Amino acid sequence: MIGQSELRINCVARAAAARPMRHAVACFLAATGVAADTADDILTAVGEALANVMEHAYDPACPSDVELHARFQEHARLAIDVFDRGQFVRRDARPGRGFGLRIVRAIAREVSIDTHDGTRLRMVFDAPVAQAVL
Amino acid sequence: MLKVIKLSGELEIGRKDAIEHELHIEGNERGILLDFGEVTYADSTVLAILLRFHAEARRAGMPIAILIGSRQFARLIEYAGLAHAFSIFTERAAALTHLANQTRQ
Repeated sequence: MIGQSELRINCVARAAAARPMRHAVACFLAATGVAADTADDILTAVGEALANVMEHAYDPACPSDVELHARFQEHARLAIDVFDRGQFVRRDARPGRGFGLRIVRAIAREVSIDTHDGTRLRMVFDAPVAQAVL
Repeated sequence: MLKVIKLSGELEIGRKDAIEHELHIEGNERGILLDFGEVTYADSTVLAILLRFHAEARRAGMPIAILIGSRQFARLIEYAGLAHAFSIFTERAAALTHLANQTRQ
């Protein structure tokens, strides 16, 4: 059942972890039958969210956890939360930067950021399923 | 001399230092082709590096063309609002023609 499908990942927030985490999301999207073009966009947004955590959430000398939780909602929507316990840095305020959130907002249907006790970036995507696999 | 810098695979935060190392201007080039035709994924880490490299090249009067092969990379650039910031091509011949025309001017 697509509606019950979910994915949870927890890694240490090092730059090298972004790629395998993204690949795990790619496998989840493929297994749940999300169309390839839609999956590409979702992976782009997820990659931006992860890169933001890896680059800005923690002191590189002592990174802590990054968590990702993906689950389907009603009406063919997919919610993905990326959560860290670091300090939120609004990249838009830095000259020549800020592409990450701009890209996420261009792709996701809804984006919210909760900075209470860490940072939780919630992205909700339209994710029509091409074929019911699970 | 036309210089070709070819990168492939996934250009993302985990390869940031390696990508920055590859993108440099030696000074004797007449133009640079950034061949990303075999790049399968890119994130905005690369866009920030490309913007810096592009600005450095512009200061040096060096034309740059970017060859992109994946839809994901092309759309990343669109979503970032940078579609008009670079000379982007999907065909190698067109990119080389652009560079040849630029170096004649």
